[in-house]
Amino acid sequence: MTKLLLITRPYYDITTSYLYHWAGEIIDSIKKKDIQILDLKKGRANKKEFNSITKKKQPSFVFLNGHGSYDRVTGQDGQVIIKSGENDELLHDKIVYALSCKSAKKLGKTSIKEGAQSYIGYTDDFVFCLDQDFVQRPLKDETAKLFLKPSNQLVNSIIKGHPVRKACERAKDLFKKNAQKIFVEKSSGESYLIPYLLWDMEHLVCEGDDDAVF
Amino acid sequence: MSEENKKKQIKKLVTERLEVLPSNKSISIGSEGSFSKEDLIESVERGDEIGKKITNIQLKYLRSLKEGIFYD
Repeated sequence: MTKLLLITRPYYDITTSYLYHWAGEIIDSIKKKDIQILDLKKGRANKKEFNSITKKKQPSFVFLNGHGSYDRVTGQDGQVIIKSGENDELLHDKIVYALSCKSAKKLGKTSIKEGAQSYIGYTDDFVFCLDQDFVQRPLKDETAKLFLKPSNQLVNSIIKGHPVRKACERAKDLFKKNAQKIFVEKSSGESYLIPYLLWDMEHLVCEGDDDAVF
Repeated sequence: MSEENKKKQIKKLVTERLEVLPSNKSISIGSEGSFSKEDLIESVERGDEIGKKITNIQLKYLRSLKEGIFYD
């Protein structure tokens, strides 16, 4: 049976451009698998489309990219796509991963109350470093890769059918491994990256059923 | 040490740590945007929200180093 994965990926500033391209890497990598991707990108990353496609198609895994806050994740141009108490009931029975700031703090909890299977996200800002020379080619940015690869690993792990707990642990391990590598190789001159990698690792959490599988 | 002196010391410590950020690198902090070394140092000096966030990130890291994060 085909599994459905819904991805939202707005594109309107440097941060969303990075998230857009890195989520695109996942889309490219799973094209051959038995998974149908519902890609709400750019202008389609809005609440109306999200509500409609979620109700109609009932994807079992929702991967949200974009700016966020404690009670919301946004889509194109920073417009709310999902918000606590407004449309979080749409996440009922779903595994959700939000690559967005702070949303695990409140939206994660309310969506679990509304019946989401599990909600993975960040309880504070998701911070990443980027190389200005690669702003036009985010996938070639080796600095940003240290932060966005662990996030992609989390998604890939869920896609492969691992429990969300395991996916979360693997992402945390990779954040730490990246930090540790820089710490050991002091000559790399990249030690300034470590606090941010550990920050993201620490604030990545999984709410709800951590045995849930896609 | 007075509270005022402590704050000054922390600001000095954080700005010194930010000085090592290369000029071609930025830090993306959520919807606040992307910040260069100069932006971040200015924020820390001013004590605005971004400055507080960066200070928090740096202090957390220093505490985790003390707790042996890489040696467990």
